[in-house]
Amino acid sequence: MSIALNVVTGFLGSGKTTLLNRLLQDESLGDTALLINEFGDIGIDHLLVQEVAPDTVLLPSGCVCCSIRGELKDALLDLLARRDRGEIPPFRRVILETTGLADPAPILATLNNDVQLRGRFHVGLVVTLVDACHAELQARIHPEWLAQVAAADRLLLSKTDQAAAPAVSALRQRLQTLNPGVPLLDTHEVLSGDQLLLGEGLRGATPEVEVARWQLHRPQGQVTSHGEAQVCCLTFDQPLDWIGFGVWLSMLLRCHGERILRVKGLLNVNSLQAPVVIHGVQHCLHAPVHLPHWPCAERQSRLVFIVRGLDPERLRHSFDVFARCFAPAVEVSA
Amino acid sequence: MCGLCGLLGEDVHWSDPLGDGLPRRRERLRRISAINRVLAPLRLKVEDFQGTAYLLLGATGRQELASGLDQLWSLAESMTGRAADPLDPVLLQSLEPAS
Repeated sequence: MSIALNVVTGFLGSGKTTLLNRLLQDESLGDTALLINEFGDIGIDHLLVQEVAPDTVLLPSGCVCCSIRGELKDALLDLLARRDRGEIPPFRRVILETTGLADPAPILATLNNDVQLRGRFHVGLVVTLVDACHAELQARIHPEWLAQVAAADRLLLSKTDQAAAPAVSALRQRLQTLNPGVPLLDTHEVLSGDQLLLGEGLRGATPEVEVARWQLHRPQGQVTSHGEAQVCCLTFDQPLDWIGFGVWLSMLLRCHGERILRVKGLLNVNSLQAPVVIHGVQHCLHAPVHLPHWPCAERQSRLVFIVRGLDPERLRHSFDVFARCFAPAVEVSA
Repeated sequence: MCGLCGLLGEDVHWSDPLGDGLPRRRERLRRISAINRVLAPLRLKVEDFQGTAYLLLGATGRQELASGLDQLWSLAESMTGRAADPLDPVLLQSLEPAS
């Protein structure tokens, strides 16, 4: 059975270890293994702690973003081996705390692409902590900040008590614009055992609830901008051809993945009654998920992209051309 | 891996066929047909190799074997010096008349 790996990321000093230390005091996380990439000052000796140092091996695609983090792989396989030998108690979830400067995409790529990890682990949720006091500066100076926010399935604001209320309010607005629909909480509101953090998102028991949070139903072509990031929504009324769509998106992510910080979509695929859900971060797309039924009467394919330095209009035009070109033509000839 | 020829299977990819409406081999040929349409402006062709890989053929006779889509796009770029870019106006123009 595949084990969920939830990633806790956030910029340096955003309070990741503090949050985890608070949450890990509770017994509800007793079945959770924790991987951190730096040993912190806070002792978490009742749980499994293993250091993961950065180590990369390029995939055949040659993409730096999609590199395999070798030592993460080793650490995960070692956890399984130690569990099987009875050296550590059984666990059903892994939480990985990243370094503050980490881009989450290579971690996700490691789990998706490595043949030894695939099937044993899967990405559950990406939880990003945002430092309310320093977010503006970090966003301006460090490109990783935006990547972490865009990759998030959950956003947590820390240090809100130390920042001015108007600034916190503006930051909330900014985060909701950058990553629409993502649950946004203050860290002090998060309780141990909270399924918002411990759940598995799309891989959980109710993927339709997760998809409903994505707010995919926004007007076609609507583009919202915040700084260098833009959020654009693409729609297509006719059923899509999965083969043609796969060729288009795989080309797009290969060519422009570094500028596509996030993609989420609900697709009406020809020959399938129920919708197919896709989502990914940069070059890395997760395995598609089938929903049991459509969330509404409208059966329209919808994609939301969070992009940086990519013209949404060109993206829309390309999607339209591919969707029109492949869906009817291939279907008729098949 | 095939026990007779020692070939590894194609890389698992998120875009692999979703249902079982068509035989896997048929879906693979449809994918190769779609790939050939988008690689035509780069003067590249793709053929199936043993049902497990893609044989990429350049205009100069150069050939490369790709084990999956991601490697295919990478090899296409290295063989032509140009990325297979779905935003490329030339590519989009070549696809438009067929729509």
